[in-house]
Amino acid sequence: MTEGMRLRLAVIGRLGRGLLPYLLSFLVAFAVVGLVLALLGFDVWRAYRTILGTSFRTSNGFVQTLIKWIPIVLQALAFTVPLVAGKFNIGGEGQMIVGAIGAAAVGILLADLPLPILLPLLLLTGVLCGMLWVLGPAWLLYRFGVNEILTTVLLNFTAFELIDFVATKIWADPRAGHPTTVAIGAGGMLPLLVTRPPLHSGLLIALAIVIIVYVYTHHTAVGYELLATGANPRAARVFGLPVRRLFLFSLLFGGALAGLSGAIEVAGVHGRLIAGLQSNFLLLGIITGLIAKGNNAAVPFVAFFIAVLEVGASALQRTMAIPGEMTFIVEALILIFVLLNDVVRRYRS
Amino acid sequence: MNEQPLIRMEGIRKAFGPVQALSDVDLTFQAHEVHGLVGGNGAGKTTLMNVLYGLYKPDAGTIYVRGQATTIRSPREALAHGIGMVHQHFLQIPAFTVAENIVLGTPLPARPLMDLSTVEKRIAQLAHHFGLEVDPRARIEDLSMGVRQRVEILKALYRQVQILILDEPTTHLTPQEVDSLFESLRKMVDAGMSVVFITHKLREVMAVCDTISVLRDGRLLLTRPRTELSEAMIVRHMVGTDVDIGRSVLFSGRQQGDEAPTPMPPVLEVQGLWVAGEEGTPVKNITLTVGAGEIMGIAGVAGNGQQELVEGILGLRPTRQQRLWLQGRDISAASTAQRLAAGIAYVPEDRQRDGFLPGASVAYNLILGLHRQTPYSTRRGFLNHRAVTESARQHIAQFHIRTRGPEDIAANLSGGNIQRVMLARALTRPVPLLIAHNPTSGLDIPSVEFIYSRLLERKRQGLATLLLSDDLDELLLLSDRIAVLYRGEIVGILIRSQFDRYQIGRLMSGVSDHD
Amino acid sequence: MTNSPWINFAGLVMLAIVPYVLAAQGTMLAGRTGLFIVAQEGIMLVGASVGFLGAYHFQNLAAGLGLALLVGGLFGLILAYFTTTLKMDQFVVGLAVFFLGLGLSNLLFKIVIGITLQPPRIPTLKAWSVPFLADIPILGPILFRQNGLVYFSILLSFFLYYVLYYTGTGLALRATGENPKAADSLGVHVTRYRYVTAIFGGMLMALAGAFLPMVYTGTYTDGIVRGRGWLAIALTFFGGWKPHTILLGSFFFAGVEILALRVQVTAIGLPHQFLRMLPYLGTILVMTLAFRGARPPAFLGQNYDRESRTTSS
Repeated sequence: MTEGMRLRLAVIGRLGRGLLPYLLSFLVAFAVVGLVLALLGFDVWRAYRTILGTSFRTSNGFVQTLIKWIPIVLQALAFTVPLVAGKFNIGGEGQMIVGAIGAAAVGILLADLPLPILLPLLLLTGVLCGMLWVLGPAWLLYRFGVNEILTTVLLNFTAFELIDFVATKIWADPRAGHPTTVAIGAGGMLPLLVTRPPLHSGLLIALAIVIIVYVYTHHTAVGYELLATGANPRAARVFGLPVRRLFLFSLLFGGALAGLSGAIEVAGVHGRLIAGLQSNFLLLGIITGLIAKGNNAAVPFVAFFIAVLEVGASALQRTMAIPGEMTFIVEALILIFVLLNDVVRRYRS
Repeated sequence: MNEQPLIRMEGIRKAFGPVQALSDVDLTFQAHEVHGLVGGNGAGKTTLMNVLYGLYKPDAGTIYVRGQATTIRSPREALAHGIGMVHQHFLQIPAFTVAENIVLGTPLPARPLMDLSTVEKRIAQLAHHFGLEVDPRARIEDLSMGVRQRVEILKALYRQVQILILDEPTTHLTPQEVDSLFESLRKMVDAGMSVVFITHKLREVMAVCDTISVLRDGRLLLTRPRTELSEAMIVRHMVGTDVDIGRSVLFSGRQQGDEAPTPMPPVLEVQGLWVAGEEGTPVKNITLTVGAGEIMGIAGVAGNGQQELVEGILGLRPTRQQRLWLQGRDISAASTAQRLAAGIAYVPEDRQRDGFLPGASVAYNLILGLHRQTPYSTRRGFLNHRAVTESARQHIAQFHIRTRGPEDIAANLSGGNIQRVMLARALTRPVPLLIAHNPTSGLDIPSVEFIYSRLLERKRQGLATLLLSDDLDELLLLSDRIAVLYRGEIVGILIRSQFDRYQIGRLMSGVSDHD
Repeated sequence: MTNSPWINFAGLVMLAIVPYVLAAQGTMLAGRTGLFIVAQEGIMLVGASVGFLGAYHFQNLAAGLGLALLVGGLFGLILAYFTTTLKMDQFVVGLAVFFLGLGLSNLLFKIVIGITLQPPRIPTLKAWSVPFLADIPILGPILFRQNGLVYFSILLSFFLYYVLYYTGTGLALRATGENPKAADSLGVHVTRYRYVTAIFGGMLMALAGAFLPMVYTGTYTDGIVRGRGWLAIALTFFGGWKPHTILLGSFFFAGVEILALRVQVTAIGLPHQFLRMLPYLGTILVMTLAFRGARPPAFLGQNYDRESRTTSS
């Protein structure tokens, strides 16, 4: 066995051992929910096939998965980037909504501008609006030390009211039965990568973001400082790190990502502002972030898995009348078992 | 002694993971005696007593209380058996009063309406009887360390313990307070109690203990009456072959290193430093200089402004009217990061809290504060992982840090190794100024020797060190000059030839020289 | 006696304090032992769902309340177990329990009731009049003609104040959150206090949730809690972690809520959405003020491990 082969096997071994707890958690979670489904009288194997297979059976299913992956991964990163520094951004929903509002505003008010100008402007506005929405909580943390969990969450509820207002009073589309605005200009729509089934280029943006975030947190001095701050903010401060500024910065970064996710939904999926576009992406994003244990390199993969489950969940609801919350419970259980696994490992050492 | 022993511990074993903290320890405590438990840090003294007090469960062995085999599963049970313990780090609630702290966990009189006046009277009586005066209504956070220790002792006396364990009780006391404590201990022993005195200070053991036991590496080596022992014998058992006593710094009993050359070019100059202290003692009008090749010691009872002084110099606390120069450069307005980069290294007193990143790798811990300097970072701000790992490997080897490697999670390190990481971080480069606050506290003897030798090495290299320590012996051993800090002010500076333990003790207590 | 709008308003506020008081006192109790619960919203949701379903199924409000208490206690137990015994991070566990409550509440409703157009209803809680006192002009109808849970919330607050500050148990309880090691060394059962307060707190939070369908709407919808769980955390800080000031503070929160939700807007001319934002924005303001003043228990958010070795010897 050559040295190179031995090294490769060692890496695979380490990867395998790292993935084992996830595999176990996944199996146990599925087993538990399967049991419940069986007790309720559902065809368990068909449910399993639907939830896991829908993404891969048709090209439409796969594209749907990718489209869902984009906001999930961005929301997850919006949560995990501040988490590196030890801060909890639970406001991704509100930031996403406000980002969408800003993007839609630009798209509607400047509807006649051509694509190369309108689209970047629209996306940029989304980013800035997301940052704006987290600025309040971030500043309160910076200046007064106010706990950010609460302030970010409260702004989510505020954002719900705001989007309701915008979608019903300002640019309302009178023909829609649900609070919705008129469409944005064609120049604001993300071009499609594939037309049948339609897959928008937001995917490329998301991929770029994933890479940028990874490089930033793992390979820069600022990334080191965020990590140190999260590990022990007091020690970080004692050794010269600008801890409060880092908190502020990490939250703003998170807000920017969440705002971008909102802008992409407007520019790529809906073409207008729809109340409820935030769906349950925040929850999924946080669960993704927690399952990935805050590791920005693992997040995109976990996010993809969650996207697969979510696509499966709608299929489950459509074809077997199993409520979507079941999937949510699966995801929550996976999270709990992954966390438990850590405890078991700690106990054994 | 023909009396039945109060406590007999037989065959006690305790392991923490792979570390065997106690191996087959047999120990007996009698009434009417002060029993000294001596050994370096890590020898197992506190662990053994924590077992007796029900904080740790022994892996094997039996405890006999007044001849009866007993299992002690918690401090509550220990107290029920008449065993009390005063820990090194006081277990008090700062926001509560003395009486509330003492009475916590006991069935309170006149339930359910809590009326503490009878309790307060009883506390005052006890305090007076044993020479441990204290005001039962005072809030803990307003009291000095010496008084807080009396509260700790009263907690046990209030519960009428028969055997009182004191873990390194003199750490925060002035020499005069130490004498007062010893008097109180004798009063307790005369009243029929048994006192267990855990310490690593030989002088104290020889001064107050009737019987002495020596532990090393979790094993009991001897138990003899004091009259049969000499300091030299005890030292030999404490260190065994770990340290060459002939070349030891710690046990040399005399001042170390050559006298610093005069004149010394000043490295650190502090003028008129005032540091605000929200919870601690504010520091007032400090002026001092530390010269190249000098070890400047700062003596004082803990809590008299040491932490504030250090943080003021580092720029971590709001200060006013101060001027600071480092090697002639004015750093009064510089940020902490800038001051560190200008040439200051820092070893904090509370390693876990102020200097350690538990969730990060060992390599990352080693570059904290240095991470933006080459070779660890490029000028564009990218981390150079290879340089970080390589330098970490060197540090690990040089400082004998026991770890699986640079990528190992730092939370896996033991306390002594955490300190080594701090030191490696501070000592690798010939930094002009080192600020070290209690660098040897809690470390075993070989580690203490290692630190002393590095500090003396810095002297030889012409570098400056500001050494703050609660251990007066340590300062007397190593410093060229000693400044005494009392209530945030420097009340006296002595040069080597003037070193006098009791005079320093008076200054530490605020007794002016001109009396 | 005329029914002036102010008396109506005051009566509504008295009703509205209940979910805030109950959830905040539960948060305070657990917090005083060092456990920082952030799962209130989820526990209230599941309490609302289970409480409603129980009342609907057994046609008995008390059954619904009892079931809610049971489930709330269970959630509290889970929180205590994962943090106190397994020593996992409190925020992460809190978020996970929040998710669990969120999913479970809707799931249970959908499974039991299914998807219907006409939401099923239960009768709402009746008010009890305190004889004689209820006839006092002005104060009478406001204070003494309320349902049992209102009385319970107020009495509970006084009871907790008494226990915490006037009994030895209360002293010990407070000590576990200030310095668990000190408390432990004196024989106080830190773990036991943590479990008991977590379970009791969970019960209170579920009760707060069950109150909503039983008093306000008569049915369960998935937006019924509307963030009150998070607001309760703010109330706990605002009330300085003391039961009596929490009770006082709850009037402020309730007042803002009633203003935002019930008052007709036409007089002010502001779109109703902005008025509905008031509770949340107001709470942010309140949090800022509270953070500059009150001191939470010293060990809030930290787990305690008796055998942790911070110093060797």
